[in-house]
Amino acid sequence: MTQDSISITGLGILCAIGNDAESVLDSLRKGVSGIRRMKYLSSKHDYLPVGEVQLSEDQMKAMLGIDNPQPMSRTTLMGAIAIRQALQHAGIEDVTGKRVVLINGTTVGGMDLTEKYFQQMKTDDSLLDLPQGNECGKSTVEMAELAGVGTARTCTISTACSSALNSIILGCEMLRADDADIVIAGGSEALSKFHLNGFNTLMILDKQPCRPFDATRAGLNLGEGAAFVVLEKNSAKSLAYVSGYGNRCDAFHQTASSENGEGAYLAMTEALNMAGMKPSDIQYVNAHGTGTPNNDVSESQALKRVFTEKMPYVSSTKSFTGHTTSASGSIETAICILAMQNDFVPANLGWTQQSEGCIAPCLGLSGVQLDNVLCNSFGFGGNDSSLVISKVAHAEISHERPCHEYETASHITLSAEDDLKSLKAFISPMELRRMGTLMKAAHLSALRALKEAGIECPDAIVTATAKGMFSTSIQFLEDINANDEELLKPTLFMQSTHNTISSAIAIRTGCHGYNITYSHSDDSFKWAMYDASRLIRTGKARSVLVGFYDESTPLFDSFDERAGRKPSEPLHAESLVLIRK
Amino acid sequence: MEELIQTLKEQIIDALNLEEITPEDIDNDAPLFGDGLGLDSIDALELIVILDRFYGIKLANPAEGKEIFKNINTIADYISKNRTK
Repeated sequence: MTQDSISITGLGILCAIGNDAESVLDSLRKGVSGIRRMKYLSSKHDYLPVGEVQLSEDQMKAMLGIDNPQPMSRTTLMGAIAIRQALQHAGIEDVTGKRVVLINGTTVGGMDLTEKYFQQMKTDDSLLDLPQGNECGKSTVEMAELAGVGTARTCTISTACSSALNSIILGCEMLRADDADIVIAGGSEALSKFHLNGFNTLMILDKQPCRPFDATRAGLNLGEGAAFVVLEKNSAKSLAYVSGYGNRCDAFHQTASSENGEGAYLAMTEALNMAGMKPSDIQYVNAHGTGTPNNDVSESQALKRVFTEKMPYVSSTKSFTGHTTSASGSIETAICILAMQNDFVPANLGWTQQSEGCIAPCLGLSGVQLDNVLCNSFGFGGNDSSLVISKVAHAEISHERPCHEYETASHITLSAEDDLKSLKAFISPMELRRMGTLMKAAHLSALRALKEAGIECPDAIVTATAKGMFSTSIQFLEDINANDEELLKPTLFMQSTHNTISSAIAIRTGCHGYNITYSHSDDSFKWAMYDASRLIRTGKARSVLVGFYDESTPLFDSFDERAGRKPSEPLHAESLVLIRK
Repeated sequence: MEELIQTLKEQIIDALNLEEITPEDIDNDAPLFGDGLGLDSIDALELIVILDRFYGIKLANPAEGKEIFKNINTIADYISKNRTK
């Protein structure tokens, strides 16, 4: 019998309301928002309020003791600072002989740097290393080195706005499987012109400070930041414990949540079940609460379905930090821990008017004991995750972890030479019209693999992609430059996140199960296989669709050629179905 | 008006990648969303970009599009009354 508990032994955070845990706590208690006028990001749309970390790149470098004039990504710098804080907080100095794993959640990665030098890179040979840093995985590896844990195993998860929470979930699973001694998990995301313009095309950015759950809410404010937690098993000096988690897919729409919040409901329910808790055991929910009309009503419906009898205190701290996208899951986990340790419920700023169909959020409360809190984090494509954090360790439902074996039921690989026309047998022209080549190849290989395995809807979908939706992203970046941040196509942005394929296949197959995307350079597929086999081994899934999808673009090919690097494969789409033996 | 309608249809087909559809296939009175042509919320955002790009009309709130984008005739009517270019 195992009764392991997962301890959180350290946390590091920087976001719009502070550059460390202490200042974040102070702002939360005083109710001071960090949403301000744009200062560090350079964009034409500077009338949009944002939640920026109040540090320049040079100041961040100084904090890290970096004496290097080369331009560096804010994502990487913020991540390194938060990791250092977390390790220091946990009192970890020497990791010799320990199996340390760093799991980072990001979507922007080094894109903040790519977009800054996008035009210059096309001609300036001294900048040819920059395009490589565009990959999320490269950002994580650099972060580890800057934070002084260069020897750690590294991993990057990219499920859009739920990335960081999924990093924490994987970290817990790795500890439970005894595949690590110390896990540093969280996420980092810098503001970028790319996603500011992208969210703008979706018309979900509020020109005023956001008002989550309010009747007059008109969208979100973007924010940035990083937060990491240190996770260890059965530690004597815990800040808090992770007692349950759930990762489910809404499988509804690429950029909108379903009316009844199915994915959110399933994720919260799974997290509570795993913790062995009743809904009434939860005193506070840190909502995803972006402030968009769609998210807040959908999440409210899901909350009402879970907490039928009595709604716990609910608030969205995005009213303080802005929506820190891929980092939001760990930033809000850190906020939950601070609230729990200091007996208060953070305010939901800006709320004055009850909105039909929405919950009534808590406007801040002190002197409340929080034993168990739930943290929600949802992403594009319906990648919905929830975490239960507890003040004291809850004996996990004590059962042996099952150990099933798996086998490969089918395996399909496609390349640039393959004819994608046969996709018409699976997908209607109205749906095909938006798909780029990679999306088509991924669908064809996945749908053929599922058909060959005789499975209509797998239990889980695990995807690997080093570069994500590369040609779509680069096209959007070209348009930003060519059209001076105007008249951009929402169709391109909605398909630009790394998890687009994984969630699109979930929508097509109606798969509400576990859904994740690994974006860790050449190791993306290795991590995807690790996770997929874990799902089967531990009895969480009987069938898993695993995909490995990547493409190159002519522009980045030209960078490689000029730099004398080996060319990337033009197109790779590989799908496997793993099943329990 | 007929010229505007023809141009508008071509712009819509191009922006929404309606590869297998010709202007003649789109009935001026048929609904564009739901049971008609089957467009969705992302297409509505693309239509807002068309209004801005070609006719200098800026919609501040996507909800305004609901009445305007009912069918080709309603869009053409709105454009002819509000265009700035």
